[in-house]
Amino acid sequence: MARSLDRRTVLKGLLGGAAISIGLPPLEAMLDASGTAYADGGALPRRFVTFFWGNGMIPERWTPSAFGAGDEWELSEQLLPLASIKHRIAVITGTEVRVPNRIPHFSGMGGLLCGLDPIGEEGNWTVAGPTIDQILAQEIGGETRFRSLEVGSRPGDGVSFNGPNSRNPFEASPRAFFNRIFGEGFTAPGEEPILDPKIGLRRSVLDAVMEQTAQLESRVGTADQQRLDQHLSGIRDLELRLQRMEDDPPNLASCERPDEPPTDDTWGNNIIERGRVMHDLVAMALACDQTRVLTYAHTMPVDNYVYPGIPDGHHRLTHDEPEPQEGVHGVTLQIMEEFAHFVQALDAIPEGDGTMLDNLVVLGTSEVSEARTHSLEEIPIVLAGSACGFLKQDIHYRSSTRENASKVMLSLMRAMGTNPAAFGEGDAMSTDSLGDIEA
Amino acid sequence: MPAVNPEAPTLRRLTNEQFRNTVDDLFGTGIVVPGELDPDERFDGLLALGAARTAYSPRGIENIESSAYLIAEQALAPDRRDAIVPCTPTGTVDSDCSARFVTEFGRRAWRRPLTNDEVTRISTVADSAAGTLGDFHDGLEFAVAALLQAPDFLFRVELGEVDPDGTFGHRYTGWEMASRLSFLLWNTTPDDELLDAAERGDLTTEDGLLAQTERLMASPRATDGLTAFFNDWMRFSELDDLYKEPLVFPHMSDTLGASAVEESERLFKLVAFDAGGDLRDLLTSRQTFVDRELAALYDVPAPVRDGFAAMQHPEDSLRRGLLGHASFLASNAHPVSTSATLRGKFIREVFLCAELPGPPSGVDTSIPPVTEQARTLRERVQQHLTDPSCASCHRNMDLVGLAFENFDGIARYRTTEEGVTIDSSGELDGVAFDDAAGLADALREHEDLGPCIAMTLARYANGYREHLGQLEALGWLGEEFALQGYALEPLVLELTASPLFRATNPVDTDPLEVE
Repeated sequence: MARSLDRRTVLKGLLGGAAISIGLPPLEAMLDASGTAYADGGALPRRFVTFFWGNGMIPERWTPSAFGAGDEWELSEQLLPLASIKHRIAVITGTEVRVPNRIPHFSGMGGLLCGLDPIGEEGNWTVAGPTIDQILAQEIGGETRFRSLEVGSRPGDGVSFNGPNSRNPFEASPRAFFNRIFGEGFTAPGEEPILDPKIGLRRSVLDAVMEQTAQLESRVGTADQQRLDQHLSGIRDLELRLQRMEDDPPNLASCERPDEPPTDDTWGNNIIERGRVMHDLVAMALACDQTRVLTYAHTMPVDNYVYPGIPDGHHRLTHDEPEPQEGVHGVTLQIMEEFAHFVQALDAIPEGDGTMLDNLVVLGTSEVSEARTHSLEEIPIVLAGSACGFLKQDIHYRSSTRENASKVMLSLMRAMGTNPAAFGEGDAMSTDSLGDIEA
Repeated sequence: MPAVNPEAPTLRRLTNEQFRNTVDDLFGTGIVVPGELDPDERFDGLLALGAARTAYSPRGIENIESSAYLIAEQALAPDRRDAIVPCTPTGTVDSDCSARFVTEFGRRAWRRPLTNDEVTRISTVADSAAGTLGDFHDGLEFAVAALLQAPDFLFRVELGEVDPDGTFGHRYTGWEMASRLSFLLWNTTPDDELLDAAERGDLTTEDGLLAQTERLMASPRATDGLTAFFNDWMRFSELDDLYKEPLVFPHMSDTLGASAVEESERLFKLVAFDAGGDLRDLLTSRQTFVDRELAALYDVPAPVRDGFAAMQHPEDSLRRGLLGHASFLASNAHPVSTSATLRGKFIREVFLCAELPGPPSGVDTSIPPVTEQARTLRERVQQHLTDPSCASCHRNMDLVGLAFENFDGIARYRTTEEGVTIDSSGELDGVAFDDAAGLADALREHEDLGPCIAMTLARYANGYREHLGQLEALGWLGEEFALQGYALEPLVLELTASPLFRATNPVDTDPLEVE
């Protein structure tokens, strides 16, 4: 791939990058000899990725029998599909989500990802605050084209929330996701930035819309003010995105425009194949630094997909299948295979001295442990990647004291370079991170 | 009618269908609306209630922006623009003409007149775009895009005013009443005649309001518009991704869900509009409509042509009304089997407005496998019905849902399960029945059915769930509904004329604190 240094690159190099920090995207041509950092000492982007699946696992068959690092521990029966990535993962067992378990599936999702007890009333539950990905997006999402991205392998509503009643719906169509990321508005490395007078005009339209929104906000009730605040923040993100179209394109070494995926009817109901195409698109979106916060929902809580070779829908089986729930076990194995595939797709992207997996963490988790009873003890957590060396890999950490799962969330917040005093509130609050998983 | 203590107003998002209908009405049919808004979310059983709770996500806002430009480009194409641009520009930039356009088109898009500041804000954008791009109409595309992205378009803004007549403390304005009527009855933006009536002040008078309600109801558009209510009430969006395991159910196809919805909607239109009759007939009618796919599923003669044809189930058929439709039977079941619980829950919640608590956490919910002693679902769910911690709720649901065991998980008729003859008898709140047809009769006569329909329509119309201060008025509405033979049109006329639909409170009022 031939690449020339353009004017701004030369300028930046000449001045050592220090004097004119004008928010240019990283340029592969300026990486130092080992490729781990830019010439001006800046680090490669660090990302937070969630891989969510619905309906948990079976704790007795999930938990590895030994704990420790490296050869000290071995994968359990349900984790065997992760053999090829064992050296890149941290399995955390024995923690619990400490919110009242009032609402099957929902308490666990909100309790884990927000550290908050859901609010609302029967039939109308919602989260009480943003999910961890959106907390992080506010901190680390501001420098990329998309503050965050939400993706899934089958249509559903999503596990990422900006706050109460404000869900980020996910994109389940590879074609639509491709168009959103790599279609209009994307420039590949080496391409000229997009200079179009219409971009400026679109921004002035957004300014007018924001004025109009602010005016309306002064007349509505408190709850509606929050909704319009959300509206305004979405518009501001969009405006920033338009502004960035005029910047140089992201220029990471492995970034290239992928081929357009086929239309959705190609896969019919097969979420496995469709998901795998999505995994590769997600990897490239991250490789091109389009976002640093991405939530991938393999399936949603309560999902009832019928997996190949399994006699009934997943959620149905968790409740109605007699012990030892071989069908549920079979589904869990298939989900772990997809998790492995997802992580491998990220690991296949060279970056710096290693791969992109060195510069991110994947939080693999679900909203319950044993779905049959909607248990929030032994919540499944598998981390992949080291987040730039912050997190240990190839370990099984077993909490013998039923520690708060929010400790893990706080570790992840810190791994992303943020330093909040606590994660969660009430019983779910933790002011300590989980030191044992931190390098 | 009894006094009402109304809810304070809330913004409502346009639903995806309302957005598409509105674009059609603003610009003429044939405009391609690309992409989707955020998915509609269901609260308290209705998408209409979710619309009053949810915000637009960043992705939704991004989709709206790109859609707005693609719509604007089509709307201002040379062959279409004359329909919306009221003047011929004198040059590339013609501020008078652009302001006139924004004033006139803006009133339709925002369902109210724009203030001078608003007109200036938007026409300035258009003028500047026209100057930059060198074309007047290209400039107007930016005005259209701005109008469509504004919250005044994307949300229904109905905030009310102090009632100068003193009839209500606070009431919806005439412009707001135009939107309320139009979205309720036509599921789209008000037409010019309705906006003119609002401008004249007609919609805040009883007579003027009634005249417009009757006009809208007399139009064929009310049929589709109120079918949207029916669709929401019946939770048909659940059938968008209906899935049945094809190895178990060879009748499953990608189009079955849509066919099933159409069958039920056709029955609704027949009962509510063509026959103008008793909505309770929805439960008991032997009349229905099938296409070839449904005919094969139901084992009835297929229509001669493609598409749907009317048919009547024989007198001895257990397939009666909506509860014999695949839209109910298949969506309230599992991918490989039936579910007495899901079917019973649907009947309790949707037709009787019962409040069922969610299942508790931490209990073993497994249904025992098929054994020699317990082969049918009825035998296997006995535990739910005898264990006291399960039975209090499950009896309510399962004993109703078991009535449909003659229909398998995809709605095919059957008489045996695992070789055992199915027993579909049961009782509904004290009324015994032998089978699904008997249950339909019992449900039709249930004292909660009529009030539940009236209450659901009021929730749909208002975007909120009633509170204590409205129960008396809703009770009255239910009685009127019964007195008028459970017909839809009189119910709509009573509701829209009543303070349940016309009165509101100042923003942020807690209605339970103003008595």
